[in-house]
Amino acid sequence: MQRKDFLRNGIIAALGISAVAPLASSCKKDDTTAGSGSSGSSSSGSSSSGASGSCTVTPTETEGPFPTKTPSTLVRSDIRGDRTGVAFTIQIYIKNKNNSCAALANAIVDIWHCDKDGYYSEYGGTSMQTVDYTSVHFLRGRQTTDSNGLVSFTSIFPGWYQSRATHIHVHVYNSAGTSLLVTQIAFPEGSGSAVATVNSSAGTAYGYTKGMTGYTYNAQDTVFSDDSTGSEIATVTGSVSAGYALTHTIYVAA
Amino acid sequence: MRREERIIRLCYRKIIDNSSTSTWEKYVFDDSYSEFMMQFQFYNQKKEYTTFSQVITNVPGSEKLHFLVSTAIVGYIKQLNGIVPDVLNNSGKHFLPFKNFRFEIINSDVTDRSRHKVAVNFFSDPLIWHDTIGSQLLVSTGDKKDKEEILTEMFSIQPLLSIYSIR
Repeated sequence: MQRKDFLRNGIIAALGISAVAPLASSCKKDDTTAGSGSSGSSSSGSSSSGASGSCTVTPTETEGPFPTKTPSTLVRSDIRGDRTGVAFTIQIYIKNKNNSCAALANAIVDIWHCDKDGYYSEYGGTSMQTVDYTSVHFLRGRQTTDSNGLVSFTSIFPGWYQSRATHIHVHVYNSAGTSLLVTQIAFPEGSGSAVATVNSSAGTAYGYTKGMTGYTYNAQDTVFSDDSTGSEIATVTGSVSAGYALTHTIYVAA
Repeated sequence: MRREERIIRLCYRKIIDNSSTSTWEKYVFDDSYSEFMMQFQFYNQKKEYTTFSQVITNVPGSEKLHFLVSTAIVGYIKQLNGIVPDVLNNSGKHFLPFKNFRFEIINSDVTDRSRHKVAVNFFSDPLIWHDTIGSQLLVSTGDKKDKEEILTEMFSIQPLLSIYSIR
């Protein structure tokens, strides 16, 4: 009888949940007798322990495929995921101020930027994600610098959003994962620049439909406005049809 | 008791912490902790904090850590081949299909690995709930076709397994 009560209560609780917010409580451990599913003491399944379902069936199959060590889905050089836009390659050199500005090998470099419409892949922990991560983790990537201090990514040309100039976020770590620098890469601007061209009628066919009305230029950007020497501005070459290539050097103290 | 057929989705909340023992759980524990250690630094650039709860309380946007750290464990979710772990049918076999999950950091501390604790919430694919027999739910995963035999599963609701939605 107690089991039936448990079941009925479970169903009533399930009916009571509305949408996302109560999710945590609806799926929360509140039974300290939780078994791991492998307790062998009640394998018959017919024993009436009286506990609220804490005994479970003993597994009758062999352990599934043995798990294998797998890197983060961030570790990839093609970060496009399911996003489309003007072709774009990113080459970032990391150099060490503490070593005569020599190339820094084995540094871990995370980058992330928005899509052509100005959206990031971000999920705040309040909704589900699918196993197919490409639609979730787009335009984020992680690479480790080679002996030249270089990391390369394949992406799409970033769009822009209100109050910010076009930019790429970069987080550089040493090989142990300790943060060395959090920074952003700015883009050249003005007539003929990649930013101006992609956001002109030339980019419309690729889905860049915002134009430049309301765009925030580097001088007004909250992050780049103090960059008087332009050291945060990358070199960007190419065309809409052939794609653009960004090259930039970042100096860290390692 | 007989009832009208309903469509339900189940949620299984798998908690992984320092006491977890299986290889899969240890990989999820280790890799999510390493990723947390890396991503945490973005939200702690002034080096003021040491725990997950401190940044969640004090740093705007830090709730993205759930998502950012989840990148470390997606590969292990894929290795489950779309079957929820631990939950067994009455024959002692894993049977519950899923495509959706939600990774969650419950607690963590960059100075104390043993305080790292995470959860993976597995949301099952929709199941047709045909009947309840004793303490067992009788469900099937396929669409019912007229006059065709349909294969079913029987299982008990167990700790950390709930009915997430119903229609």
